[in-house]
Amino acid sequence: MSKQDETLALLAEISGHPREEIDREKDLVADLGLDSPKTLRFLVDLEEKLDVEISDEDAAKMSTVGDILDYLVATG
Amino acid sequence: MVEATTLTDALERNAERRPGRGIHLIGGRGRADEGRRYPDLLQSFKAAGARLAAHGVRRREPMLVALPTSRELIEYWMGALFHGALPVAMAPVGSAGALAVHLQKLDDVRRRIGAGTVVCSESLRDEARAAGLDELAGACVTAAELDGLAPREGWRQHRAEPDEIAFLQLTSGSTGRQRAVQISHRSALHNAHGIDETIGGPLGGPASEVLQSIVSWLPLNHDMGLIGCLFLSLVHGFDLYLMQPKSFLARPIWWLKHLGEHGPTLAEAPNFAFQLCVERVGAEAVGELDLSNWRAAMTGAEMVRPETIDAFCERFGPAGFRPETFRPCYGLAEATLAVTVDGVAKGARTHTAPAGMERGYGLTDVVSVGQPLPDTEVGIFQPDGGRAPDGQIGEICVNGPSIFSGYYNDPEASAECLVDGWLRTGDLGFLEAGELYITGRTKDLIIVNGNNLMPHELERIAENASEGGGSRRSAAFSIADGPEGERVVLAIEVSDTDSERLAAIEREVRLGVGHTISVPLADVVFVRRGRLSKTTSGKVQRNRVRQQYLDGKLERIDGPAAQGDRDTQS
Repeated sequence: MSKQDETLALLAEISGHPREEIDREKDLVADLGLDSPKTLRFLVDLEEKLDVEISDEDAAKMSTVGDILDYLVATG
Repeated sequence: MVEATTLTDALERNAERRPGRGIHLIGGRGRADEGRRYPDLLQSFKAAGARLAAHGVRRREPMLVALPTSRELIEYWMGALFHGALPVAMAPVGSAGALAVHLQKLDDVRRRIGAGTVVCSESLRDEARAAGLDELAGACVTAAELDGLAPREGWRQHRAEPDEIAFLQLTSGSTGRQRAVQISHRSALHNAHGIDETIGGPLGGPASEVLQSIVSWLPLNHDMGLIGCLFLSLVHGFDLYLMQPKSFLARPIWWLKHLGEHGPTLAEAPNFAFQLCVERVGAEAVGELDLSNWRAAMTGAEMVRPETIDAFCERFGPAGFRPETFRPCYGLAEATLAVTVDGVAKGARTHTAPAGMERGYGLTDVVSVGQPLPDTEVGIFQPDGGRAPDGQIGEICVNGPSIFSGYYNDPEASAECLVDGWLRTGDLGFLEAGELYITGRTKDLIIVNGNNLMPHELERIAENASEGGGSRRSAAFSIADGPEGERVVLAIEVSDTDSERLAAIEREVRLGVGHTISVPLADVVFVRRGRLSKTTSGKVQRNRVRQQYLDGKLERIDGPAAQGDRDTQS
């Protein structure tokens, strides 16, 4: 799976929203209903799955699905 | 032995008494490091104090520490204490999407308490600069920079008086602005001793004699993390195993694993953490856990829910967890931490909630949160100022050595909270046979996952969304209708009833709340202008609106629930 697919699959699993409904524009809290435990679980799962490290400050700048995907591309 | 009268003295005593114990940090993969022992830590705190002096931190001046749980946080927070500055821990950053808001809050707190120094990460300072907060960026110093400083020559540790303010704890005020609670050495020691004695009582002695370790994921900017875990360890000599809140929230099983690995153990957490363990740790994982050494589980900082206690006992019973391990408690930052703790340890006891819970949480059974700590008095006061008899609900007020002396630089707020020597908690409850039961609160505070939110903050967002221009009225309140605890509902008055337009406002409100407060809304309700209950002076009555919402009597404009609501409309 590509990084993008992994990310979307994980978001679907944690948010409970069907994968096909999750697009770049979706907001993590407002649209996908991620509260703080779910957001952190997502970030830690993602770090493990993709073997990346996301700093707290970088994570705090991500509000949409697109923000996460762009961050993963930008950090290679 | 003469009792230590200041925190710093208590730390010195403890390092002599328990030289083999110390603090262990649990890393990103759930493993504990080798740890640092108390005598070594004591030296490092003093050295940090001397470096803070070299950096120019002044005595009696508040100093902010905005770092995640780490060696650096503990060292510089404690360093400030030894130097005689007033350390204040603040959350490093919020969760997703909240960086800009967080920086603003940090800057606001820094100005209001006059903190000249903010110990933080390099990236936080960069973000502050990028956001144009130059004064904040200028006050920032990283732990690495401080580590590189030579200690100030001739520095001596501050010799405090017992009643001197030792540090500040941040808490949400009624207007949503953070307030800094002043805690003296005497109060901090009193509270730590009280917890140690009350928790240990039924186990056969002070907890620090009977138990060996504390395992905690609580952030140190939270009173339960700072006092209940860090101070309790530093003053009474537990081995402290400390993990990042983030690690626990993502992997609750790591906390549970450590609870079985370090001898007889004490742990503390808000209700939601126990619920999260039930939801996230399945039966097969339970087979790998051994919780038989977990001797005390303090649950507090938010409503203790009987169904969570039952579910937790059922799930983790097979791993050796015993119901009497649960020790419900009640407290608040203004009382240092704990006010009451279950000192009986016979399992959580519930009581049928009496009538008159107008601002109640809607629970039929409430859990006893125990007896007042030694030398502490809990009084239940009726609105007319008289004491409520046993079994009758009123405002919980507290008196005793753990009570704070006021909010830093905020005499007006202090005067509202401290009346005739009593701390007015704003929480509602009753006493029965010497035990306290919490039923609700007089203040419109919302507690989600252990964090306090003020309704004003949410309402401001709703009232300004989509050209509302602040003229719109709204009510934010919480409902607690499921095991997940409190969830937030926003009811908003609108003059427009076009469904597309309302959908746009709803999204904007949800985004606004998500980005500033990082909390998903359980429901957004639109009502016609003028329909939210108000006082004669025009103030929205949140509690009334909440009750109408729960009774299905709030007249919604749209949404699938509207139909049903209309049928029951009186």
